[in-house]
Amino acid sequence: MFWRLVFQLLRGSRGRLAVAILAIVSGAAVISALLNLDLGVQNKLAQEFRTLGANIVISPASGAPAQISGAEVPSLMPERDVQAALQQLPSAQVAAAAPYLYIVARAQNIPVVVAGTWLDQAQKLDVTWKLEGNWIASRADDSHCLVGRNVARRLHLAVGNPLDLHYLDRSAQCSVTAIVDAGGTEDNQVFASLRAVQALANLPGQIGLAQLSVTGTTQVVADYAARLAAALPQYQVRPIRQVAEAEGALLGRIRLLIVSMVLLILILTALCVLGTMAALAMERRKDVGLMKSLGGSISRIVGIFLAEAGVLGAAGGLLGTILGAALSYWMGLRVFGTAIAPRWEVFPATIALMVLVTLTGAIPLRLLGNVKPADILRGE
Amino acid sequence: MFARLLGESFARNPRRKVLTAAALVIGMAVATATLTIALEVGDRLAREFRSLGANLLVTPESDTLPVEIGGVDYRPVDEGAYLNEADLGKLKTIFWRHNILGFTPFLDVPASISETGAATTLIGTWYQHEVPVPDGTKFETGASATHPWWKVQGRWFTDGADECVVGASLAGKYPAAFALGKTIHVAQNGVSGGVRSLVVTGIISTGDAEDNAVLVPLAVAQEISGHPGKFRQLFVSALTKPADALAERGERAQTDKGIQLTPTEYDRWFCSPYISSIGFQIRTVLPGTEVHAIRRVAETEGRILTRVGTLLWIVTLAALGAAALAVAATSATTVLERRAEIGVMKALGASNALVSGIFLAEQVLLAIAGGAIGFFVGAGLARFLGESIFGTPAAPRLILFPVVLALAAIIAMAGSLVPLRRAAHFRPAVILRGE
Amino acid sequence: MATVVQAENLRKEFGNVRALDGVSFTVAAGEWIAIMGPSGSGKTTLINILGGLDTPTAGKAIVDGTDVARLDEAGLTRFRAEKIGFIFQQFHLVPYLTAVENVMLAQYFHSTTDEKEARQSLERVGLGDRIEHLPSQLSGGEQQRVAVARALINHPKLILADEPTGNLDEANEEIVLRLLRELHVEGHTILMVTHAPSIGRLADRRIEFAHGHLVPAAAASLKPELA
Repeated sequence: MFWRLVFQLLRGSRGRLAVAILAIVSGAAVISALLNLDLGVQNKLAQEFRTLGANIVISPASGAPAQISGAEVPSLMPERDVQAALQQLPSAQVAAAAPYLYIVARAQNIPVVVAGTWLDQAQKLDVTWKLEGNWIASRADDSHCLVGRNVARRLHLAVGNPLDLHYLDRSAQCSVTAIVDAGGTEDNQVFASLRAVQALANLPGQIGLAQLSVTGTTQVVADYAARLAAALPQYQVRPIRQVAEAEGALLGRIRLLIVSMVLLILILTALCVLGTMAALAMERRKDVGLMKSLGGSISRIVGIFLAEAGVLGAAGGLLGTILGAALSYWMGLRVFGTAIAPRWEVFPATIALMVLVTLTGAIPLRLLGNVKPADILRGE
Repeated sequence: MFARLLGESFARNPRRKVLTAAALVIGMAVATATLTIALEVGDRLAREFRSLGANLLVTPESDTLPVEIGGVDYRPVDEGAYLNEADLGKLKTIFWRHNILGFTPFLDVPASISETGAATTLIGTWYQHEVPVPDGTKFETGASATHPWWKVQGRWFTDGADECVVGASLAGKYPAAFALGKTIHVAQNGVSGGVRSLVVTGIISTGDAEDNAVLVPLAVAQEISGHPGKFRQLFVSALTKPADALAERGERAQTDKGIQLTPTEYDRWFCSPYISSIGFQIRTVLPGTEVHAIRRVAETEGRILTRVGTLLWIVTLAALGAAALAVAATSATTVLERRAEIGVMKALGASNALVSGIFLAEQVLLAIAGGAIGFFVGAGLARFLGESIFGTPAAPRLILFPVVLALAAIIAMAGSLVPLRRAAHFRPAVILRGE
Repeated sequence: MATVVQAENLRKEFGNVRALDGVSFTVAAGEWIAIMGPSGSGKTTLINILGGLDTPTAGKAIVDGTDVARLDEAGLTRFRAEKIGFIFQQFHLVPYLTAVENVMLAQYFHSTTDEKEARQSLERVGLGDRIEHLPSQLSGGEQQRVAVARALINHPKLILADEPTGNLDEANEEIVLRLLRELHVEGHTILMVTHAPSIGRLADRRIEFAHGHLVPAAAASLKPELA
């Protein structure tokens, strides 16, 4: 009988409750969309920040990162140490990783910085590079190189030209596969395979530093860096702070903004529900008086009304959350160009919020418990 | 009589009125707050991005190839071209001068340090330096603006003093020599004489090449290198608008003679803070330079700003929609429950038009009053939200005041019309009977 | 004969207004009492007190052995559910419940619902073909008959009827009064408020009210006129 009462109540008052229903459904839709979006946004924006390039650097504990014309003995690391460490840790999070060995060689008798690296990874680590020509697919390719646009201009190089590099008494040759417009320091550098540069510098198996691009939020990156540091205690492993701080701050701000909006919308929804319930309460006073005259206690009567509010909140919340999933899908497309999948946690969370909001808005119905049956039934 | 009826209508049932008023005030407060923040957010976020550092690089046009690793130039001082420090004030005279948040010149000098006997690079730069601007004012700028993630243990050197900041790796290698407060003696590498004493005031850790170098005030580097008043490259941090189609055309028009902008297009491009137009303006006041966007920063910033901007407008619309619903619902509910009054008025012979008129007038007046109060509450809310989210309070935009009032009136009218339309069909007898 | 109602010096004040002033009377089991008097004389107040809807300012109201005046809120609630059956002038059916659900509502607040019994009670009052109708689909007389069925469903000791035919037209009034007569014949104790002498004559005894007092008119039992 209890649930029969509750559903008859709802059915009978559905006209009056129209506004509340609309408020709950739309509030739930927007809130669940925003919650879906928040989780998606954090990930998507973190990915955007990844395009800033590497976010973790591994370097020797101290020393210059470069070999300056052979005069200095720079600090170097054995390549296999780094590789071993990388293999120990889960590689799913690592979007790209590459070692670097920098030397200052001479080309056409001009000092040029040559970076030996894994050229197949370069494309992933340096997403903003614009190439005139083709990327080099294999890291074992010793005969090709990429040349920064300033180098190309200075040395009058075009795609396909050969490039002679000299270091101390050794030399190497490679063919220019592409001219790189990096919009940064790399425009002044030449990129060749690590093997070739190690051979040219006679430093087999050595590298100057390694760079990684790890996907995920700032916290994920920091965790990975910490684990890597533990695996490589003799070297320095650092997240690149420039990016980390900006990213953390921005993502934090956006989250705060979304949460504030969600709160505001919750308050507004509660207001709508409150207004509707207040109007409804006026109309139900007679029914409450009658039920009391039949021997209904306050707690039972109020319980019926609260159950009604709860069902309203749950049903409206459910419908709204489904709409919200569609809404967040559309919003994801508009904002990021890719759909954002709804998260299952959002369903119970939104429904719970809506039930809470509706129960709060049902305060006028709770106050109905104080109705004096004698007054009501007398018809005043 | 109309006014009298209206007045009496107002005076009745105060508790219900309080609820209505609360809904209106809160609804319009939310609308005001979200609109205020939405208008500011783009700007705020752009400033956030400046913490990524400089987005423009200025270098001499005719230059030898920089021997740069990790951002440090290892060229000997006699090689390559230089730019004049004296010209830098002109940066604050371009059209977009207020968007130039900071700029920092760099001069790298290969040096040797007596205490270690090792060759090191001196990076001459500004941390906080006052630049004289042609219009008579001074502009304070330096690495504090363009490289905000540079953190120093100890303190930064004072501009122009004989002080220095040592890179952490270098300090780690020679802890005794490079401790805070110690004095080191530097001279240009390969040049005898001209030894300067510098006091170590701080240790810097950037994760980049600076860790192996010594940062000194630009003036010190200029003297040691024998190039007073000069520098090699300039990093600029500018507030820019994300690139769109027009920006790209403008950028390509710089190099590609085949692409021309029409005069209107040119004006729009020039008057928008695109990175390409700011770069163009910088080149105009600093002749003999090349200005390039630091693409990694600029592109990522542009992409993220565009996305986030769209997202935030959608969120704003959602909040506005909720506010509108609250206000409309309040008006509708009010009219609905006063059906009895409507019935009485009609029974007394009032026409539909008159009844509708009274109720509409009442709801609109209430909405406007609620909107006015809501505006001030909303302005306070916007300040609070701006403070919590962005660290600086959002100033109220007075232009929103009439907008919010108009919105309130329109929504209240829309909300009331539906139940009023239905009420027009009520027969008074039905209402009075209490059904 | 057992006494169902014993009122002793009942007094009820609403602020400065004294609605009941020292009212005392008794009602025996099976009696049909008509409480009569002009409007504002305190009839409804008396009914409300006897039915546990209101508490007196002073005095005793003993219904089926329980002094209603001494009961707390919980006690009154149980009292209303178990001992009393109300019939109101305005019917007061719940508009969104069907006829049978309205009767089951009374069962629900008493103990457990029994739909079969509720249906039977509706058939008893001649509404066997109206069981699933909503009040808006019933005539005034039919609604009042549902109210009667509701009042009876928990076998109350006392039926309190406040102007039961006040909102009915002549034909429906006739039907409801006949129903009341049947209940009286079955032995129910009925306290009925009415202002119409013609209806009052149907009862065993009339109690006159004026300004909160009993009017000591001729209270001789008269045999109800049979239609």
